[in-house]
Amino acid sequence: MLQADRLAFTYPGTTRHYEFSFTALTGEITAVSGQSGAGKSTLLDLIAGFLVPQSGSLTLDGTSLIPLPPEQRPVSILFQSETLFEHLSAGGNLALGLPSGTPRETADQRIAAALAEVGLPGIEKQRAATLSGGEKQRVALARTLLRNRPVLLLDEPFSALDDSTRATMRDLVRGLTERHRWITMLVSHHMDDIDALATGRYRLEDGQLHQG
Amino acid sequence: MPRSSSLPRRPLRLVAGAALAVSIAALVGLVLASILRASTGAAASSVDVWHLVVMTVTQAALSTVLSLLVGMALAWSLNRLRFFGRDLIVGLFASAIVTPGLIVAFGLLAVWGRAGWVNQTSLALTGQPLELPVFGLGGILAAHVILDASFAARILLARLDAIPEARLKMGQSLGLSAIQRFAVIDWPMLGPTLPGLGAIIFLLAFTSFPIVLLLGGGPANQTLEVAIYAAVRLDFDLAGAVQLALVQIAICSAIILATAAFAPVSAATGRSRPPRWRDTGLVHAAQWTILAVGIFGFALPLLAILIDGIGPGIIDLAQRPSFWRAVATSLALGAGSAALTLLLALTIGMARAATASRTARTAIGAPAYAYLAVPAVVLSLGAFLLVRDMGLFPEIAAPVVVLVANALLALPFALATLAPPLEAVATSRGRLIRSLGLSGWSQFRAVEWPLISRDAGVVVALSFCFSLGDLGVIALFGTEDFTTLPLAMYRALGAYRSNDAATIAALMLLITIAAFTLLPRLFGRSTDAAS
Repeated sequence: MLQADRLAFTYPGTTRHYEFSFTALTGEITAVSGQSGAGKSTLLDLIAGFLVPQSGSLTLDGTSLIPLPPEQRPVSILFQSETLFEHLSAGGNLALGLPSGTPRETADQRIAAALAEVGLPGIEKQRAATLSGGEKQRVALARTLLRNRPVLLLDEPFSALDDSTRATMRDLVRGLTERHRWITMLVSHHMDDIDALATGRYRLEDGQLHQG
Repeated sequence: MPRSSSLPRRPLRLVAGAALAVSIAALVGLVLASILRASTGAAASSVDVWHLVVMTVTQAALSTVLSLLVGMALAWSLNRLRFFGRDLIVGLFASAIVTPGLIVAFGLLAVWGRAGWVNQTSLALTGQPLELPVFGLGGILAAHVILDASFAARILLARLDAIPEARLKMGQSLGLSAIQRFAVIDWPMLGPTLPGLGAIIFLLAFTSFPIVLLLGGGPANQTLEVAIYAAVRLDFDLAGAVQLALVQIAICSAIILATAAFAPVSAATGRSRPPRWRDTGLVHAAQWTILAVGIFGFALPLLAILIDGIGPGIIDLAQRPSFWRAVATSLALGAGSAALTLLLALTIGMARAATASRTARTAIGAPAYAYLAVPAVVLSLGAFLLVRDMGLFPEIAAPVVVLVANALLALPFALATLAPPLEAVATSRGRLIRSLGLSGWSQFRAVEWPLISRDAGVVVALSFCFSLGDLGVIALFGTEDFTTLPLAMYRALGAYRSNDAATIAALMLLITIAAFTLLPRLFGRSTDAAS
């Protein structure tokens, strides 16, 4: 269980103050909706460790995450864009999700298995720049599988996709969350995505989260 | 919707731009014709062109490779580090583009020369002088790297600053190592810039005049540019000078054509915002070391100039009318050439932005860029021959020729700075301007000027500083009565009056820093107040 209690942040030199409290459960998708500028990215940055809160707590199964730098947090992130390094192959992007020193043969096997799990077998050598928007998101999800982190943060991940690809991606995210027992947090202003996926919901208003 | 339909109709701008383009092209044509005419009737020269080409290409190639490597290391370090005074250091590197080569060469001598700080310290401590190769290829390379690596660092830092935040967050979240981060995130941003930046640095080093003149140390290390000056001014070998000028123009043209194939390099003079993702441990220490060496290498020669130059020698120099004449001439030429550059760049830039025709845009802009292929000494030689052909005394035409030549030499940089924002205004606000029925003047006063005024300040500062530091044009036109600060400094060095040279160098450096720091702000502020 990922839990925040009065996790507070104020941008230096401004009066923009945020205070977040929420609970996100294992194997479920918790959605956060809100208007542009409401603080959705701030919330994700605090969970991922890109911002350090001024007060409050953030725990995963009772262990505080706040002392951990971003690279050590048990978190994977999927953005709307910039999900992959476009000059690398799909396999090259996935390899970045493996621990350094992983033997080549093991790495190849794990990459192939991850790509198969997201429905893109055999595209290891394809350059990321040549993939469609939906394929890029699926490759990024495959990398998340390799990293095997319990928390998945989705920052408007389907916004740039067409309706049919969105539906495929939603199914994939739901399936992976349940199968791998992830704590998935979806941040979006698209209510159809939230309606389709969310098991728990929060609205972001006036710098605070409201349940429902 | 086609772009032309959204552009306000500005026939006057197009006519003015076209007229300027024709005039500038005609001037280039006249200069080249004068050089060619002189080459046909001249006697054979004994100038060893091949040796000069090899030497010039060698030093330029080495300067380019070293500058790119050092510049990349500096940009990498600056991108990662956050510290008090960082903006000042970034500004210091940005100022390299306007720091006169003569100043850097002199500063290098002040630190590493025979009577420089390092040698004096060594003598005091060990009783032995250090035999440092400050004259010759080593000195030329050092001076070029100091200037060009700083310039490269600022450009490359802007590329690193432009990495999307989401990409950095993804990399940081993945826990990329410092090497992985450079290979996966930094290199794709830096790599495409390097060929174009390398070509610019090669061109700068290839046409470098004062540095080679001061630090060359003799004919063995002479370059084409210095050889042209020597042929005209010292050997009175006009045929040789013309031959060398033609070779110089041919090679520079080839480099510029090659440059056009690479990704454009945009100037970077603004603030830099470092990312939050910093390296740690050994990598962090390496970044501090690189930055310290970079600051030491670039700032120490400038510091030496200020410390050596600001002293009792000022009083002696200030009592000489010739010094004040040089100061007044330099300031007047700088101000005049800056005003002319701004006027030319605005007229051409606004004309280009007023048309959607690619051919018309190229035709209006191309003549201005032609001056990249005609280095200062060659332009000066052509103007010298042209003035002579017209039956005028060079000393009478000198003020106008030097002012116009300096403005034209700064024009490519000015246009590269002003044209993109002017075109962006036309593209993004054209429909609004048309729908409001704004006149050309109202468009300029209310829409364009407020948006480009800071860039205009950068153009004025660049042009003023280029003119202030110019030695290439004035070298052929300067006389006892018509002297600028760089020429006065060069003459003082030639006459072994090194205290005078140091004082003039310090004054030039202070004026350069003041102009580069204050002018863009002054222009930006005047708009803020007006808006």
